[in-house]
Amino acid sequence: MAPLKYLEQEYPILDSNFQNFCATHGIFSEEDLLLHDLHVLVAFAEQQSTSERLKQGITQVLSIIDGQHQPWLNGMELLEDAQLNKHVLSTGCEGIDLLLEGGLRMGQLTELVGASSSGKTQVCLLATSNVAKKHMGGVVYLDTGNSFSPQRVIDFIRQNSDPAIDQAKHRILQKVMNRILCHSVFDIFTMFDVLHQLEVNLRSQMQKGDCQVRLLIVDSISSLVTPILGGGGSQGHALMASAGFLLKKLAHEHNLVVLVTNHTVGGEGGISKPALGESWKSIPHVRLRLSHDQGSSIYNVSVFKHPSMVSGKAARFTIYD
Amino acid sequence: MEEVVASPREWIDRNESAKTMLARVLTARPLLLLPPLHRVPLRVGNVVELVGTSPSAKTHILIQAAVSCVLPKEWNGVHYGGLDRLVMFIDLDCRFDILRLSKMLKHRINGESNGSLKKIDQEHMDFDLWNNDTKKSPTYDEELYSLCMRRFLFIRCYDSFQFLATLKTLNYRIRKEQELHGISVHILMIDSIGAFHWIDRASTFMPLGATNRKTPSLQTVSETVVQEIRKLLLLHPMLVIATKATIFGDRYSMETKRNLGKLDTSNSRSMSSTSLQLPYREYMPSVWQNGCSHHRVLWINL
Repeated sequence: MAPLKYLEQEYPILDSNFQNFCATHGIFSEEDLLLHDLHVLVAFAEQQSTSERLKQGITQVLSIIDGQHQPWLNGMELLEDAQLNKHVLSTGCEGIDLLLEGGLRMGQLTELVGASSSGKTQVCLLATSNVAKKHMGGVVYLDTGNSFSPQRVIDFIRQNSDPAIDQAKHRILQKVMNRILCHSVFDIFTMFDVLHQLEVNLRSQMQKGDCQVRLLIVDSISSLVTPILGGGGSQGHALMASAGFLLKKLAHEHNLVVLVTNHTVGGEGGISKPALGESWKSIPHVRLRLSHDQGSSIYNVSVFKHPSMVSGKAARFTIYD
Repeated sequence: MEEVVASPREWIDRNESAKTMLARVLTARPLLLLPPLHRVPLRVGNVVELVGTSPSAKTHILIQAAVSCVLPKEWNGVHYGGLDRLVMFIDLDCRFDILRLSKMLKHRINGESNGSLKKIDQEHMDFDLWNNDTKKSPTYDEELYSLCMRRFLFIRCYDSFQFLATLKTLNYRIRKEQELHGISVHILMIDSIGAFHWIDRASTFMPLGATNRKTPSLQTVSETVVQEIRKLLLLHPMLVIATKATIFGDRYSMETKRNLGKLDTSNSRSMSSTSLQLPYREYMPSVWQNGCSHHRVLWINL
């Protein structure tokens, strides 16, 4: 948000007289204008000798403020956007797809909660391989615990492919793997850097056919946020909330599926509950709980929270080695 | 000024009796029966806060109320019982799903029109009339549906500054939309008023320059929000419904279940009235709490 004096170039009505008038009321930039009562300002402007010009300046400033927020849309426009752009991407795992009525939805932030080795990373890798191969979309994988395994992704890709086509296989494999970008991030500030860079790239990117990023995975977001939570200050919670907003903004504006993983902590009465606390609960759109039957390759997934589904719905699926 | 002094008798004479005043107020500001909040006597000019944990059905209630508001009272002979007004929705949580609203609206429209078609069939027993109505029904449902969807106005905000910018220009926007649609805005919905709470609380802006400069902080932002809403209600009387998610749930849930009679006095941000028994910890500044005229707590046990 610019200080008022920089707006003078573009809007000559906000001249030095206007700026001095505003300065007497403690307004130096657009942010100050947002916190000030503009009707009171108009009343003060009337008492000045150059009241007409000042009032025109205030009107001009109001129209600048009108450009500061997102555009107003009506229900039909929202619906058209949802139907045209916000499709569903299948995860490659039938159980989860059935549970979510098709798969992961673009424009939404989905969270996978589970204890350690409950299959969260496996599901992420499976989704990565599926999006890169079947949906031919780009994948950005933010790995916080060195759990990204290219070999496992190749295994998943090879599982569903036709064994008859062998010659072009290597080239196809290379093409698919080129769509996956993996970043190692070990603290939340690096994650913000990577996400901001991604935002810049997405905004300036031309529609390059099949290299359009479709899936963003953060595995796991809890390991980035937990070290900064607590300690009595609100900085940790503020960073967590900002991260949530940034992920949702990327999901909505660039039509991405955003998938994050979270671990569990002990709660009251010994029942485990998701980490990151109460404030995080209202950030993701969809929350799924994963668990793993000991010694088998069968996983359970149940719905914690979904915008249009009752929580508690469950399904089982298998991930083969 | 001279006129008032000249006739002091007129000044102390009564303007109207209580009965006429009540009649006038009830017609100008009627009670709103908005399902699912129809048990709560709401009137335009009220600011209602729906509090609950996440997930409770707060957004669901907002969507139901929005459907009731945008539907007309009657359309093509079918009674819908709606308020026939515009709804403005400010999404601070950025989690709104338009498909839910769409499904609920379609369900409501189809439910009502199917009910009335059956009635016509029984009453008239006229096959031609019935055939004509069934031919008409898919098309006029679509028309009504798209009319109602267009009456729902939506915006999302990613931070407090965008929210403040929206509120400041809301007056002009409402006027424009009212001219466009020909009907007035009845409800302003804010989904999750506490969405930016942590971000605002942690923002420490260095006080630069003049001493009369307001630095953006939780207190100043909340004061400005309340001020703007108050001014808006003076110009455009409407109902404001805001949802709020509790953010200090679990730590206090066991305690409060046991001590429901006592007040959580360790909370520095709680309301000063000791007679209130809050099953959750209040975190919004008191300027917002005092700005709300109704508090409805939704406590859903999972």
